[in-house]
Amino acid sequence: MTSSAPVSRRPAPEEAGPHAAQAPRGGGPARVSRRRRARTGWFFASPALLVITAVTVFPVLFSLLLSFADVRLEYGGFRILSLTGDHYAAVLSSPEWRQALVFTFGFTAVTVLLELVLGTAAALVLERLGAARGWVLAVLLLPWALINVVAAQLWGYLYNGTYGGLTWLFEQILGHQPDILGQPASAISAMVVVDVWKTTPFVAIVVLAGLMLIPGDVYEAAEIDGAGTWTTFWKVTLPQLRPIMAIAVLFRILQAFGIFDLPFVLTQGGPGTATESLAILGYKTLFQNLAIGRGAAVATTTAVIVITCCLLFLRVFRTQADEGGRA
Amino acid sequence: MALSRRTLLAGGLAAGAGLTSGCAGKPLDTLLTQAAHVPRTPATLTWWVSEIPSRNGPVVADLIIRAFERRHPHIHVRKSNALSTTDGNRAAVTTQLAGASPTPDVYLGDTTWPAQFGANSLALPLQTLLPKDFWTAYPAALRRVSEYRGAVYALPFFTDSAFLYYRKDLLAKHGRPVPRTWEELLRTARTVQRAGDAPYGFLWQGSVSESLTCNVAEFLADAEAPVLDGAGRVALNGPGAERAFSLMREFTETGVTPSTVTTYVEADSQDAFTGGRGVFLRNWSYAWGNAADRTVSKVAGKVGVAPRPGFEGDGPRGVSCAGGWSNFINPNSRHLGAAVAFARFCAGEEAQMILLKNAGVIPALDEVLTRREARAVGDPTLARVRELQLVARPVQTPYYPQVSKALYTRANAVLGGRATPAQAVRAARADIRTALEGGAL
Repeated sequence: MTSSAPVSRRPAPEEAGPHAAQAPRGGGPARVSRRRRARTGWFFASPALLVITAVTVFPVLFSLLLSFADVRLEYGGFRILSLTGDHYAAVLSSPEWRQALVFTFGFTAVTVLLELVLGTAAALVLERLGAARGWVLAVLLLPWALINVVAAQLWGYLYNGTYGGLTWLFEQILGHQPDILGQPASAISAMVVVDVWKTTPFVAIVVLAGLMLIPGDVYEAAEIDGAGTWTTFWKVTLPQLRPIMAIAVLFRILQAFGIFDLPFVLTQGGPGTATESLAILGYKTLFQNLAIGRGAAVATTTAVIVITCCLLFLRVFRTQADEGGRA
Repeated sequence: MALSRRTLLAGGLAAGAGLTSGCAGKPLDTLLTQAAHVPRTPATLTWWVSEIPSRNGPVVADLIIRAFERRHPHIHVRKSNALSTTDGNRAAVTTQLAGASPTPDVYLGDTTWPAQFGANSLALPLQTLLPKDFWTAYPAALRRVSEYRGAVYALPFFTDSAFLYYRKDLLAKHGRPVPRTWEELLRTARTVQRAGDAPYGFLWQGSVSESLTCNVAEFLADAEAPVLDGAGRVALNGPGAERAFSLMREFTETGVTPSTVTTYVEADSQDAFTGGRGVFLRNWSYAWGNAADRTVSKVAGKVGVAPRPGFEGDGPRGVSCAGGWSNFINPNSRHLGAAVAFARFCAGEEAQMILLKNAGVIPALDEVLTRREARAVGDPTLARVRELQLVARPVQTPYYPQVSKALYTRANAVLGGRATPAQAVRAARADIRTALEGGAL
């Protein structure tokens, strides 16, 4: 049976082959379609890009520009008179900046270390809990869920020199009223305690997630090899946790280095300038002293330092991980 | 179409440069011409105002706004609620003003702001808009702090003055008079403390904040030790300044003042006093209302008010820091004439009488304090305010915040025993010099 009617020959699906949908080489309708797809992609991404440019890219670049600018405020606006490196010279040579740098570094190192140790310990305990884990986790997460300023205010009441609960407690033990937030050493320690109390749950939950991802057969192998609890922890658990711990530490370094709310609420940077962090110094320089260029320079140097720290940390971590992998 | 990092950086910087070129200023003459005329067309003003302590319950700012709107029916005033702390307010309002926002049109600001705000074009200079005899009706110290380089940047609203609050019952029990000297105050406080009638003798403010600078300014004035000289250079030095710092240390060293004073702001010292824990309190005039209020004060009815003591000898007594709040005009306001009219109304007799009758603050207009109504209010701070010697803080520099920080951080170290008075004076002097040269952050 034949048919005289012209029939267009379309390839059957099985004939089309796996690359049938791909554009042919050379200019053709498929290339146009790819361009169109790219344009559609940009169209859909543009609102997000605009928002990111407005709230992140522009402020960062503008702050960078201001840190090099001699700015004069005028009626109805401001004017950039010239570009200069003076603000960086003033910031880097100032004793206030050095003191703030030392405090911020010290605070970051101590709190991150303590939080890592305590958070890991808490995660190990949580992992072993059975049905109660959900409840314990919820309670443990309460400090982390509190807004920083609220937590700082709460502890501010406890440390208060006149009616603070902790002041009263120490008075009963020591026999005299301690000046917790009025002396540098105790004020810094008090601040570390609040930060550790507030943020250890975050580290614990991140490490707990890491613990749950470790496959059980690794432990079985270690047991067959005769490894004890400590050996298993040091040789099996900790190496397996290393990547997730690195993430927790990175997050914590970023947060601790920008510490603002705790000293702002608890001590305003005092006693003297003992708890004046880089963020507080930047705030005071920019918003209290209206030194726009210098304030921007404090912010930029802080950002540069924290980015450098994080990159260094990642490099050291990667080197160790590689060595661990080869070992 | 890849957006490279280089393109992004260049675009951002170009946008920044474009923004800056688009923010050129306006000539002052034009602004002053606008400010000299109250508009006849309807206008709405925004007034940045923190809560004014009220004596009788009504919101004082609303009473003033209603009175102004009765006089100027075509001008409507809307409140913009300011923050509760001076420094928080400064940060919020400067962010708006530096961004050339036309609102708030009028803002209530601290008396320490004029030089800094004037030097940074954040407040309109008002002297050409005022009659020549304008300032004769207000305290001279208020005029001094409102001016910078011959220009006036703030119009008076209300003042804060410092007093010595004391426990009448405890002084009567121990047969002691109200102290007129610091030496006498120390002796009386120790006597009452030893008898176990109060844990603390003298409460004041020693935290690293402007509160401590006010106290330091007063102790320095008691010892006749200036911070700056007539030419605006640092003058803090010598035995006078050390005497003031030594007295502050003596208070904490002897336990007359608790060591925790290093963290006290006004509210902390007031809470300790109204809780019955102190014999004497240095605080601003508004503290009377709280001390006499039976619902919040355990010592209501037992409190007396006196000017601050001085040192033994011929030195000054009744020294008080010139504190308070004034109205500033935003140079970017779209209704400059109306804004100036409102700020002048706040400084005038009608608004000042509203403050006298309803607010727990001291009106800036001297004359209303002598009125019969002032006595009828029954607030002893109003009755005694004219006995005080007001001293201005060294605010006539755009670097005042840095000068203040130099004073409060060094004084705080003396209170905590971390520096001797001589060391603190030397260090504060060096810090203030750096600040005045524009070298401090």
